Amino acid sequence: DFEASFIRLIDKVTNGSRIEINQTGTTLYYQPGLLYGGSLEHDCSPSRSIGYYLESLLCLAPFMKHPLKIVLRGVTNDQVDPSVDVLKATALPLLKRFGIDGESLEIKINRRGMPPKGGGEVVFTCPLRKVLQPIQFTDPGKIKRIRGTAYSVRVSPQMANRMVESARSILNKFLPDIYIYTDHMKGVSSGKSPGFGMCLTAETINGTILSAELASNPQGQGTAVLPEELGQNCAKLLLEEVYRGGCVDSTNQSLALLLMTLGQRDVSKVLLGPLSPYTIEFLRHLRSFFQIMFKIETKNPEEEHMGGEKVLMTCVGTGFSNLSKTIR
Amino acid sequence: MEEKEKKKHRAKHSGPKAEKKRKRYLNDLGIGDEEDARKRNPKAFTVQSAVRMARTFHRTQDLKTKKHHIPVVDRTPLEPPPVVVVVMGPPKVGKSTLIRCLIKNFTRQKLVEIRGPVTIVSGKKRRLTIIECGCDINTMIDLAKVADLVLMLIDASFGFEMETFEFLNICQVHGFPKIMGVLTHLDTFKNNKQLKKTKKKLKHRFWTEVYPGAKLFYLSGMVHGEYQKQEIHNLGRFISVMKFRPLTWQTSHPYVLADRMEELTNPEEVRINPKCDRKISLYGYLRGAHLKNKSQVHMPGVGDFTVSDVGFLPDPCALPEQQKKRSLNEKEKLVYAPLSGVGGIVYDKDAVYIDLGGSHAHEKEEEEVRPNHQLVQSLISTHSAIDVKMASSKVSLFRDSRPIGSEDIGQGFVMPKEEREIDLKTGRVRRKAVFEEEEKENDDALSDEEDNQEEEAAAMSEDGSDEDDEGDAEEESDREEEMAVWRAKRLKTEVTKEQAMSELPAFADSDDDLEMSSEGEGKTDLEEDEVEEYDDEEEEEEQRTYENESSDSEFEAMSKRVAESKQCVIKSVDREIGSQISDHSQKRKAGLTTDSGNCTAEEASESEVENSSLDEGGDEEGSHDESDVEESNSKGSQYAQAKKADGVRRTKLKAVEADDDVENLLREEEEYEEKVDLSADTTGALKWKEDLTQKAAEAFLRQQRSTPNLRKLVYGTALEDEEHESEDAADELGGLFRVSRPDKASRQKANDLDCSKFLIEKPQDWDLEEVMSSIRDCFVTGKWEDDKDAAKLLEEDEELYGDFEDLETGVVHKGKPAAEGDESGSEEGEDGKMSKPEPEEEEKKKERMDKKRKLKEMFDAEYDEGDATYFDDLKEEMHKQAQLNRTEFEDQDDETRVQYEGFRPGMYIRIEIENVPCEFVLNFDPHYPVILGGLGNSEGNVGYVQLRLKKHRWYKKILKTRDPLILSLGWRRFQTIPMFYIEDHNGRHRLLKYTPQHMHCGAAFWGPITPQGTGFLAVQSVSGITPDFRIAATGVVLDLDKSITIVKKLKLTGFPFKIFKNTCFIKGMFNSALEVAKFEGAAIRTVSGIRGQIKKALRAPVGAFRATFEDKLLMSDIVFVRTWYPVSIPTFYNPVTSLLKPAGEKDSWSGMKTTGQLRHERGIKVKQNKDSLYKPIVREKRHFNKLHIPKALQKALPFKNKPKNLEKKGKTPKDQWRPAVIREPHEKKISALLSALSTVNNYKIRKAKVKHREQLKEYLKVKQKEDEQKFKRQKEAKKKIYRILGQREKKRQKSSLKGSSKGEKSM
Repeated sequence: DFEASFIRLIDKVTNGSRIEINQTGTTLYYQPGLLYGGSLEHDCSPSRSIGYYLESLLCLAPFMKHPLKIVLRGVTNDQVDPSVDVLKATALPLLKRFGIDGESLEIKINRRGMPPKGGGEVVFTCPLRKVLQPIQFTDPGKIKRIRGTAYSVRVSPQMANRMVESARSILNKFLPDIYIYTDHMKGVSSGKSPGFGMCLTAETINGTILSAELASNPQGQGTAVLPEELGQNCAKLLLEEVYRGGCVDSTNQSLALLLMTLGQRDVSKVLLGPLSPYTIEFLRHLRSFFQIMFKIETKNPEEEHMGGEKVLMTCVGTGFSNLSKTIR
Repeated sequence: MEEKEKKKHRAKHSGPKAEKKRKRYLNDLGIGDEEDARKRNPKAFTVQSAVRMARTFHRTQDLKTKKHHIPVVDRTPLEPPPVVVVVMGPPKVGKSTLIRCLIKNFTRQKLVEIRGPVTIVSGKKRRLTIIECGCDINTMIDLAKVADLVLMLIDASFGFEMETFEFLNICQVHGFPKIMGVLTHLDTFKNNKQLKKTKKKLKHRFWTEVYPGAKLFYLSGMVHGEYQKQEIHNLGRFISVMKFRPLTWQTSHPYVLADRMEELTNPEEVRINPKCDRKISLYGYLRGAHLKNKSQVHMPGVGDFTVSDVGFLPDPCALPEQQKKRSLNEKEKLVYAPLSGVGGIVYDKDAVYIDLGGSHAHEKEEEEVRPNHQLVQSLISTHSAIDVKMASSKVSLFRDSRPIGSEDIGQGFVMPKEEREIDLKTGRVRRKAVFEEEEKENDDALSDEEDNQEEEAAAMSEDGSDEDDEGDAEEESDREEEMAVWRAKRLKTEVTKEQAMSELPAFADSDDDLEMSSEGEGKTDLEEDEVEEYDDEEEEEEQRTYENESSDSEFEAMSKRVAESKQCVIKSVDREIGSQISDHSQKRKAGLTTDSGNCTAEEASESEVENSSLDEGGDEEGSHDESDVEESNSKGSQYAQAKKADGVRRTKLKAVEADDDVENLLREEEEYEEKVDLSADTTGALKWKEDLTQKAAEAFLRQQRSTPNLRKLVYGTALEDEEHESEDAADELGGLFRVSRPDKASRQKANDLDCSKFLIEKPQDWDLEEVMSSIRDCFVTGKWEDDKDAAKLLEEDEELYGDFEDLETGVVHKGKPAAEGDESGSEEGEDGKMSKPEPEEEEKKKERMDKKRKLKEMFDAEYDEGDATYFDDLKEEMHKQAQLNRTEFEDQDDETRVQYEGFRPGMYIRIEIENVPCEFVLNFDPHYPVILGGLGNSEGNVGYVQLRLKKHRWYKKILKTRDPLILSLGWRRFQTIPMFYIEDHNGRHRLLKYTPQHMHCGAAFWGPITPQGTGFLAVQSVSGITPDFRIAATGVVLDLDKSITIVKKLKLTGFPFKIFKNTCFIKGMFNSALEVAKFEGAAIRTVSGIRGQIKKALRAPVGAFRATFEDKLLMSDIVFVRTWYPVSIPTFYNPVTSLLKPAGEKDSWSGMKTTGQLRHERGIKVKQNKDSLYKPIVREKRHFNKLHIPKALQKALPFKNKPKNLEKKGKTPKDQWRPAVIREPHEKKISALLSALSTVNNYKIRKAKVKHREQLKEYLKVKQKEDEQKFKRQKEAKKKIYRILGQREKKRQKSSLKGSSKGEKSM
């Protein structure tokens, strides 16, 4: 279901791809075409959140022929995938590190949609780049502020405030500079299903952004969640993330590694927290596709109270350049 | 003696000397011209115009910035590849002679025949690869792409030839390498003046082509068939100090100028089918960029291939080691040119070139080593470096002779190639292919053997783990046993295969026994508790042994003996002397008894036992004390430490927890942790031990965190692989079949949700103070590092700037007393002569140095800040990156490094390529360069490419659309069919039939994808020699758009068949109503220029439609609609395969012919359209109808304009006819007279008139004169009068003024 939707999205974004799926749906033949981009719209399947689609678009968008501007409709926040809020807060600053910046790099949440019915709308725009810059991103720095959003749709607006309250109670032990926005959507912009949730980001002095999020159970599934509990758990998740540390959020590890791989033929370095299984699998894919192997070194924080072990990833880029971008 | 009259001195009167003298003289007098005009008259030279000043400033700045290039990261490796020097010139100009002379100059060697590239060491840091380039355009194109320096030979006696210019243009297109001209044949000039003139002429022409001031070298003449030594020497010096600029294409692509080619095809296949595709290996220095294995390459003149394998070899023409000397030794002046047959003789001592003649003895040696390595490698596939090992071992594979190698090697290589699926939890690994292959090849017995080998492997690893207890002797002996077995096997080869097989099990058994015994010993010696610990350590040691193995396999490169002795030395450090002796004896035994492996094994095992017992006896207190044992282990010192810590912890734990079960569990966990993570932080481990229920999850987590084998975890493990080898063996049913179970891991993976979120299995309890404190310092509120802490920094600053005097108040601020005191203290210390301990002093010193450095840095920063520009910053950044690129992988050994960054330029590599057309091998001609150009991502694909193209100004014809054209683009040369187009103002790409004469146009073709901005050139044909300039067009790639639409104009014509006022019905334009519907609203036009629009289709004649016009049409009008028809680009891409041609015909490749050529060859004339032939124009006379005015209009007209209704009088009726007058003769006379008279009269009157007119003229003249005079007079009179009047007036005025003044005074 969502896979089919994803394939359709890829088809929209590219030009000249050949996709063949056999009748039973067991084999897929895909011949990639040119990444074309342009102004598009796509209805994502509500079985996965938009984050699932957006993640891959984030990888592809800088290498299109025309700047991408896409409207995605579906579930904005759910419990499985990284939500749009998190990607907005973490992935975009990461892309900026690689030289993909400018006015048009933006994720805009027009409407929120919670599972199971969705109804959210997100606009993603991304400029083009010919080559990516190598990065040296080995010092995460100290966390200077914590920001976040507590959203609630089709439920009492008080929910958001309750979440904020409880999250602050935990985080205040570490840092005074906390501000959590409450985002209560009404009417059309609130999607089709009720729900609430929260995402938190911790920003360091060096611009590293770590994030954590949690969403309520979708309507009619599971037991009801208390907003206080959710807020507390989310704050704890953030602390866990901080404990893992690294310069890149655990959800964006693979994105960072991919962009490093696609950079110029220079050495890129990045410090990560423990590698997630997804990232490990991703690294294997990178090796099979690009013949790129990362130098993986583990670093123990020198001091006692700096969280868990970190992994220093080093690689030489493949010298990828955007061939589809037109020059004049 | 008569004195000769001396010539008198004559002072100079002219010339610079005289001038100077005169000046001095005048100066002395004081009347000389003064100094500079600038000094004399400074005002004349000040700013006159601010605008101009601004402009000049602007201009200078412009010029300055123009010199800046965008800084690029310098990616040249530390040891660069040899510089490619292409010696180019028309035939018979002296290219080979020059190369020979250069080689002789650099290496003191004489090469008779030069084929292919010759690599020489020209200096301490520079090597050259010299290659000759003939005047075949294929060669020229290929070599221009790889050249760093071009020596362009010019026959001075002849002048420039077309080839020279062609080559220059080729170079220009593919990035401009350094070009140096060399004039030869200068001795043919008899006349010196003529020579000078020619030189100058040629030089200036050369300069206009290359750049003003380009170096042109003169080789004045030949001595004994060689150029003059001094001149060649100078030329060589020039070459070896030359600097090169990086060319974009070359730096972004890896490429190899192959200097050696070997065929690797199975001779059997060739025998069966002599035309089968071949497998070849090419050797050469890698240049440009990093090359990755399995990447795509293009071989110009052959085609695209995928590299099947790459390996690096020791440099055959290495730069000398670093030394202080100025010049090179004779020994270091190397030359390497395998295609010319040079270098082999020099290098047959080197292991790389054993396959050259006269090196059989060495080859044998190599063989001896091989089997053992194979075994070691195949059985103990070491830790993750196996992939690395593969590369090197593969290289050696083909050097190996076949009979021994085949089975072993097959086993050795299929295995590591296998895809390994690893469960993250259990680390279960399967390697199917190995066994299957064995099954195919061998009988059951052999598979048994394999089993045994497996067991052996397991045993070996366990043996390795026993080291702790019994010293290293065991492993050593084990290995020797193996060697012995293998040696035996090798000697007997196939004949004694079975025997060997039978031997092996025996050996394995003995090994098992041995192990048992050793363990038994361990048990007797140790308490049960500690046995468990041993197990732990066994596992640890396993890991270690793998490491050992890896190091061993590194040794493999060396000869076996050396390696052995080394191991022996290393391992026997802590061993007792007695055991050493026994070991040696045992070794000797093993070496001697090669014939019967069985016997050896037994003996070995016996000796082993002895040995171990000896060892144990010798060891202080056996292995009671764990730490002691560990200490005895010289290798694993760090492990020993870890274990110590471990031991301590364990004891602690014991104290804490009494429950045995718990303890056991704990220990298990610890084992696990240690296995994966030797340096895990103890606090964390402790903390997690509190929760026993979550073990599985934690294990997983810990694996995530585990340090040393993260790389293995990611890129396939070798370790876990081995661990479960034995399990795999157990799965086998009867040796032949295997239970094939899908991997648990893979199944799980397939069903898993692919989500990038990293879910936390078991969050830590963040309410606990302890846990909270673990991340306390991640926040700004936490503790900072020393050098960043604000408070600390402040303190330091105070120290630095502590002492200062406030000048205003006169208060002297003192720094911190403590610091002062310290300093004074240190002084005291110095004074007091060692009164203070040294380390403290040193610390002080260090501190001071630090301070100084900091100050200096600050000063530097301040000082430099002034003129640092954006450009400088950028440059600095690039420099930093380059530095990082160089240093990042510097400390790694080559094999690991190759994995990370690919093969780096400067390496001498060997590339294996499969499926090469047999013609390449059969028609191989070393005179033609073989180049391997690496392709970037997606550059191997074929697609639509758009170019900006301009016909070359020296090419005589213009190019026609749809004529095949040979392009040289990127690495490739290929024939394709370009379509020329031009972009209209509205962005439409309009097809052109021909290229414009002096203008750029677009071209689109179907061909290989090449990055934008790459230059290309086009030639019509590469075969033969045409007298004209061959390069037809040049240009650059603009775009790679698959959906480009080139359109050509299409006019549809129709004819009106019914005309109303401004509307008419038109037929013949379309064929159906549907077509019309498509064009509804389209603008149409008649030939006469009346514009209109298509309205709607009609029913009656099919395809007819109604249209409206701005005016009424005529039936004779032709109506047309202008449409654009998209043209499809023909998908024709034909690589020029000139290297596949037979020798001697390589320059005669001809692809698709143009239609023009075909017509010319076959004598076919074009059928001309009859309508386009010129005919005499016949114009019919146009007949206009009479003007007809309608009656109503007539009525309305005024009478004047009314057509007069004068009806033509018909014939006057007869009755109204007037009768003709017939004169009488008399009357005739009268009339004649009258007419004569009247004529005379008329004449008279005319005369009188003329006369009168004359008179009148005269009179008028006179009158005018009179008038003038009169006028004059009048004027004078008037003048007089006016003057008088004026005077009078003046007088009056004067008087009145006077009067007034008087009046004033009187007043």
